[in-house]
Amino acid sequence: MPRWGMVIDLDRCTGCQACSLACRTENNVPFCGEHNAARGRAIFWNKVIAIPGGGEHAASGRGAGPKPEAHGEGPEGGEPSRRPRLRLLPLPCMHCDNSPCTKLCPVRATFRGADGIVMQVPSRCIGCRLCQAGCPYSRRYFNWQPPQYPEELGQALNPDVSLRTLGVIEKCTFCVHRLQEARERARAEKRPLREEDYQPACVEACPARARTFGDLQNPAHKVAKLVRSPRAFRLLPELNTQPKVYYLSEGDWLSEAAESAQGGMDT
Amino acid sequence: MTDRDVHVFLRPLLRTRSTTWVVLALSLAGAAWLFYGAFYYQFFEGHQVTGQGTHGAMWGSIVANVVQLIGVSHVGIAISATVRILRLHRYQQLARIAELVTLVSLTAAVINIAADVGRPDRFIYNVVFHGNYTGPFVWSASVITAYLVGSSVYLYLAMRRDIYLCSRVLPRRRWLYRLLALGYTDTPEERHAHERVVRWCAVIILPIMVSVHSVYGFVFGLNPGRPGWFNPFQPPYFVLGAIVTGFSGVVVVAAALRSIYGWQEVLPHRMFKGLGVFLGFVTLLYLYFLFAEILTGVYSPPEAEHGVFQDLLFGRFARIAWTATLGGMVVPFWILFVQGAHPRICRTWVVVVAAAPIFVAMWCWRYLITVPSFFHGHLPYRVVEYAPTPFDWSLVAATYAFCTFFYIALVKLLPILELPEEFVPERPALPARIPEYRRRLFARGKRAAVWSTVLLGAGLIAYGVSTRHDIRAPSPAIWIAGILALWTVPLQICLAPGFALRRKAARAPPSAEARPARPPPAPRPARTPRRPALPAFQEERP
Repeated sequence: MPRWGMVIDLDRCTGCQACSLACRTENNVPFCGEHNAARGRAIFWNKVIAIPGGGEHAASGRGAGPKPEAHGEGPEGGEPSRRPRLRLLPLPCMHCDNSPCTKLCPVRATFRGADGIVMQVPSRCIGCRLCQAGCPYSRRYFNWQPPQYPEELGQALNPDVSLRTLGVIEKCTFCVHRLQEARERARAEKRPLREEDYQPACVEACPARARTFGDLQNPAHKVAKLVRSPRAFRLLPELNTQPKVYYLSEGDWLSEAAESAQGGMDT
Repeated sequence: MTDRDVHVFLRPLLRTRSTTWVVLALSLAGAAWLFYGAFYYQFFEGHQVTGQGTHGAMWGSIVANVVQLIGVSHVGIAISATVRILRLHRYQQLARIAELVTLVSLTAAVINIAADVGRPDRFIYNVVFHGNYTGPFVWSASVITAYLVGSSVYLYLAMRRDIYLCSRVLPRRRWLYRLLALGYTDTPEERHAHERVVRWCAVIILPIMVSVHSVYGFVFGLNPGRPGWFNPFQPPYFVLGAIVTGFSGVVVVAAALRSIYGWQEVLPHRMFKGLGVFLGFVTLLYLYFLFAEILTGVYSPPEAEHGVFQDLLFGRFARIAWTATLGGMVVPFWILFVQGAHPRICRTWVVVVAAAPIFVAMWCWRYLITVPSFFHGHLPYRVVEYAPTPFDWSLVAATYAFCTFFYIALVKLLPILELPEEFVPERPALPARIPEYRRRLFARGKRAAVWSTVLLGAGLIAYGVSTRHDIRAPSPAIWIAGILALWTVPLQICLAPGFALRRKAARAPPSAEARPARPPPAPRPARTPRRPALPAFQEERP
């Protein structure tokens, strides 16, 4: 049985957010409007967060984004050590092997499949938000408002992914509908599933090739090699959630990000 | 004692003042808003009408209210069960006042949970029939069912004699009480059976009560992803918090009833003084727990915990935290301490003045347990600050309006005080005459039914637990059915005919004067030492 996982090379990520866009389109992620976005209710199955690195941290604490003036200064401005830097962290669902959300869900609306993908069944969800409260990575989204789709997008909705209703949780599923399709095709062609058969939308869309996806247990897959790299790490390993999303970066990134996140980021 | 003499205990059932009607109408309007707001407006508009958000507080004031109400529901039965088990006669009249508080607040808590979940239309069905045994919400559904059903059974059985007496002494609504009494006639054997069953129910309900609030502690305490929550200390902390909340709530309710119905003698100052002493003690204990938690949170905490506690003590929550702690716990504790220690201060209003701010302060602390953690996640998201919207506040207020309405309705329908044990109505109901052989037959049949129900209930629970991994089996539904089956046992014992206990007493007429006195216990034979006396030479030994 495969164990699907993802590796994201942070040193390659340019922060273009193509992954977020591809994810929205692929999975029919609803819009929420300006007012609700300002209230922290926007849904991003795949979110790229910016962490101000190196320099001082914004006054309101770790939750704050970069200061506007940080963008104004060019790489030449100021001393190299005080130069404001921005760190980018793309965040899909971590698909933890020891996932708190699946334990907390009272109705089995979220569960870990045999291949390790943490699934979400919106039609069974009761919207209690226990999984959301329990996720240390905050990778679960509640539909606080009736889902909105701009009229222009009406024709572009993906028929393979069901729309979610008001009042339920949704999250990244590693584009599991693609896996189902790939499996069917492989079975029809009487051949084993190949690495390139199943790739989530964000991996395909990344122009910098920062993302790699595959079976962590299959030595023929690139991810299996990449996770053994000395640059590989996982987020918040001290919580023992055992995520299947790995990050690659040089130590420099990590130490600065950890400093700027006031220690919240694990190194 | 004549029928008219006991009317003092039944004042709410005899007359309703115009102010009561006004309060009833207002609280009914509030209750209507609760249902409209939670299950119509919010259901179709979504939870966007509250102040909550994903990158902000995903639980807010309603969750704080749920925890508060579950806490209040605790103590009703706790007081009543303690009074019964320890036979504290001074607090006897408080028992039913408190039991009704339990019933009301537990119902309100369940309504609040339904208001908080995104899909109230499926939540009970899915939790019961597709429940995941590892989810604290499923544990909560199981223990709340056990508690709600158990406390209703307990309340009914403890009240059955008074309902029967109402049907004999009240001028109005006799049909209702006759119906509710379900054939009770207050024969000594019936009374004996009820007393015994109710005492055992009290013993069983106490641990269930502890489990209900512990589960709420686990809902918070089992989340490693939430700084400020992940803590083995949560269940006992929540149970203690529930005792503080519930006692303060019951004190206020009892004092209100006392002043409205002129029950100064039934609920004397001394009783409130005693309650005040206990409330002061548990408040002090809560302060101690709070101190332990905060010291751990500020001494050498991990970064995220540090953020939560700094925010709580010196940041955006400092004003609520310090006001609630000082004004709602420390000062009331000293008021309660002085009134308890001073022999001359024995006044109800003093205890109420201390208890009311404790209730509000406990609400604030529920809020402070729930919300600050969301502002300090492990990853540096941009967090939107949470403040309850007017809609949030209106739901909280409407919940208490619902509680008021429900409580007044119960007070106006059921005898809230226990009638004196020695009271016999002028025209008692005649007990059904059952021939001896049929009585024996009934008794045997009842014993068989009771034991088979116990086996069925235990079997269902065991089967439900054993199928917990099977996603096709509705395991929680099976074990909840077992719990319900077990709770029919006390009803079977008390409602079914065929009391085989104390056969001599059964033949006696039901009047108190004619009730045979218990025969004096036979003098015990002098105890003979089991061991032979030690030989003389051993006794002389130093």
